[in-house]
Amino acid sequence: MSALNMALKSLGRRKLRTALTVSGIVVGIAMTLVFLSLVAGMDIQAAQMVRAIGGADITVVNATRMTRQQFQQGIINTLDESLVTIIEGVNGVYDTSLQLSLRMFVNSTGVPINGIDPSTYSVVTGGLNVINGSSLSEGSEKEVVLGKIFADSLNATIGGNVIVSSAQQDGESYEIIGIYETGIALQDRGCYITLDEVQNMSNKENLITAILVKCVDPNEVPTIRETIASLLPDARIVSPSAAIQQVSNLLNTVRMFLFSIGLIALMAGGFGVINTMITSISERTREIGTLKAIGAKDQQILKIFMSEALLLGLIGGGVGVSIGIIFSILFPMFSGGLSGLTIPGIGGRLPGGGSGFPGGVSISPAILPSNILLCFSLGIVVGVLAGFYPAWRAARMRPVEALRHV
Amino acid sequence: MSETIVQTNKLVKKYRRGKIEIYALNGVDFEALRGEIVGVVGPSGSGKTTLLNMIGGLDKPTGGTVVVDGRDLTKLDAGELADFRLKKIGFIFQFYNLLPIYTALENVEVPLSFAKVPKEEREERAFELLRLVGLETRVDHKPDELSGGEQQRVAIARALANRPSIILADEPTGDLDSESAISLMKLIRKLKEQHNQTFINVTHDPLVVQECTKVYTIRDGRIQLNEKT
Repeated sequence: MSALNMALKSLGRRKLRTALTVSGIVVGIAMTLVFLSLVAGMDIQAAQMVRAIGGADITVVNATRMTRQQFQQGIINTLDESLVTIIEGVNGVYDTSLQLSLRMFVNSTGVPINGIDPSTYSVVTGGLNVINGSSLSEGSEKEVVLGKIFADSLNATIGGNVIVSSAQQDGESYEIIGIYETGIALQDRGCYITLDEVQNMSNKENLITAILVKCVDPNEVPTIRETIASLLPDARIVSPSAAIQQVSNLLNTVRMFLFSIGLIALMAGGFGVINTMITSISERTREIGTLKAIGAKDQQILKIFMSEALLLGLIGGGVGVSIGIIFSILFPMFSGGLSGLTIPGIGGRLPGGGSGFPGGVSISPAILPSNILLCFSLGIVVGVLAGFYPAWRAARMRPVEALRHV
Repeated sequence: MSETIVQTNKLVKKYRRGKIEIYALNGVDFEALRGEIVGVVGPSGSGKTTLLNMIGGLDKPTGGTVVVDGRDLTKLDAGELADFRLKKIGFIFQFYNLLPIYTALENVEVPLSFAKVPKEEREERAFELLRLVGLETRVDHKPDELSGGEQQRVAIARALANRPSIILADEPTGDLDSESAISLMKLIRKLKEQHNQTFINVTHDPLVVQECTKVYTIRDGRIQLNEKT
């Protein structure tokens, strides 16, 4: 016969109304959780993308944008290696690394192959995220590091061999020394060998697709970027920090947008609770009068009605979170048939990696425990806040007037 | 002569309706002794219920004093009045005012739980009270499964829960058939004899008046003690 017990019975007695009120909170909570999960999913994708872009502070690539047709014909926009001396002359540049990325064949399958200089590559970018075996080194020859997805598709094992060939050259056997993973499918479908080997096989002596630049001071990246841009007006210069900034600005906008819709839905739920509680109190005016007549104090009445509001919030929060989780899990199924949600502007060309596959990045929502907790608490807060005014009104009712109420 | 348990002195209750002042009570002197069954009769709107509410600490007078069981109610604040009602007063209403979601037993437990009586003791006492009013076989029934007479018995058991010294009844038989009314008044007389409790009944019902040891008549806010016939 505690206040909570009384509240439980009172909600149970009005099952339909309780269900309708709770559903107001449920919709709000579920929507908020789905939206938060979407944003979290985007955050994770963005973080992976940044990792894929690599540790290079600045990446210089050819500015000419390829058409899809050109890309399919295997035409690659290159830069001359000699440009690197201009960049190395810029004040504040710590080191540079050259990369040639193009489409070649591994065991007769067309894949993006990246040629790098192992020693400078690791200085400039921090190296490949090798999850198995080892990475390329200074003296690597006829050695290849495969992306995880590609390696899986080949059933490749460390120490095994693959045949690497190009349109211009016959195949040669390469030993698999490592497998890397970036988390970005596009990247993990490729592989890495040394720059010299790629240049030889593709007859692109002294040509590259990207110059990766490491700066002494990360804070100077924007200035150095400007300097390089003025020295190489025909090149496209990308710095991940700018890309990250762009992505994070975009994500913040999306986050705010989704979060406000969720909040508006929650507020609607909150007004539902207020409405139900006020109706319920005017229906029970005589009951409240009776309780006061038999000796209930104001705070005891307040406790009973606040318990009801708390219960509505708890149920609404719990059910809302569960439905939110279910929808978050189901979300990729709804969007999977399409190309998924895409973040415009960053899907297209990933510098550094060098594969320039056009297209979008699909988002799957990430359900974070912190978001579940947040949404559940929001449900309780909405219930309690919305219940406070009606409960206070009930507690303050004058017993004589409440008893006279028919 | 037993002791005075309720005494009002020049009790005034004024209402304002628009610009007009209405005297619901206008200088009422009322007295009840311990163990008495007192009747208060009078036409509708004469101020009977207002007097009952003043004695029960549900409403505050505009003037005069109400002393119940040695305490001047005009000097108590809202919290103290709630406590006073809980421990000293039992209310019985014309339409029973039971809580519809609760069983008979739970309804009797409500005032006990407000008084923070522990659960086991509460259930035991509630059951005991229901047996006292002859409803020991109906403890698990909800109000809508009980007849009017049975509901009023539950209400009496609830009123007695915290062993009050005074029971205030507003038209206790007003919604009952005469058979139920007669057995209800028998019960009240039995309780009075067993526990020496004081009953104050506001009523129209001659059956109730018949059981009273003394009867007051209120008319236009003024009170008069009837000679018992």
